[in-house]
Amino acid sequence: MPTHQDRESAKDTLAYIRRTMESASSFTAVSGWGLITVGFVGLVASWLAHQGTQPADLRIWIPTAAISIAIAAVSNIAKARRTSVPIWSGAIRRLVWVIAPALTAGALLTVALTVDGDYHLLPGMWLALYGAGVTAGAEFSIRAIRWMGVSLLILGAIGLLYPAWGLPLLAIGFGGLHLLIGLDIVLRHGG
Amino acid sequence: MAGSSVSDSLDRLIHERIRLGIVSALAAEDGMTFADLKSVLGASDGNLSVHARKLEEAGYIRVLKGFEDRKPKTEYRLTAKGRRALEEYLDRMETILSEARDALERT
Repeated sequence: MPTHQDRESAKDTLAYIRRTMESASSFTAVSGWGLITVGFVGLVASWLAHQGTQPADLRIWIPTAAISIAIAAVSNIAKARRTSVPIWSGAIRRLVWVIAPALTAGALLTVALTVDGDYHLLPGMWLALYGAGVTAGAEFSIRAIRWMGVSLLILGAIGLLYPAWGLPLLAIGFGGLHLLIGLDIVLRHGG
Repeated sequence: MAGSSVSDSLDRLIHERIRLGIVSALAAEDGMTFADLKSVLGASDGNLSVHARKLEEAGYIRVLKGFEDRKPKTEYRLTAKGRRALEEYLDRMETILSEARDALERT
């Protein structure tokens, strides 16, 4: 006959097994193919912005952000289905909750800086805030994601100090980094 | 549970927290690296390698050593014996809970 202590311990152990399994399977839940696609979108947007006169042209970058978020959502759902992980699993849920406030702050600052006409600060600010969100979110995922977050933060800092480099920095951050990290995840963490 | 007859009936090898964590993590995501396991379990290098070695000696996990980008890479896989051990352990846990539930219903 199990004692009260046995029962409590069994419950605790089952919860531990469940937590560990969830955490292990959602650890690499970020879709590499999704990041690669987002990287291509970032490069195309940079090229389009290069054709115009304003590097931080919101007519280009707002649709780019919307398309990238949609690609990230669809590709992560697809990977979760393929690897039989709950879609709203541990790592993805925490990643979204950590990144969303930084992205919201970025959207608010975009409005404020645009009203003031400070377009030159937008690229650095976007990269820095996205980097802050990704770095914090990386706490729950593989090290490559943290590396991407820190690199974005550095690019953002350079962009804020040297606004004239805004466009190449956007191409490196939103294009190149997503491509690199996406490729790493595809090769090492199952797509 | 130390000392009770219930705890005596459990597989001591995977009853230990970190070892249970390693087996559970690999049951969900086979082929994790040492760094991945360390991050998921929040264990130190020394602790993780000691417990992983015990599981390897028992034939519950298999360790694959190789190189990636010229850097050494250690990958862990759950063996059929290890998966069976986890399933039996889970069954035992569920039995404890259902026996406890029955006892509660009788009172």
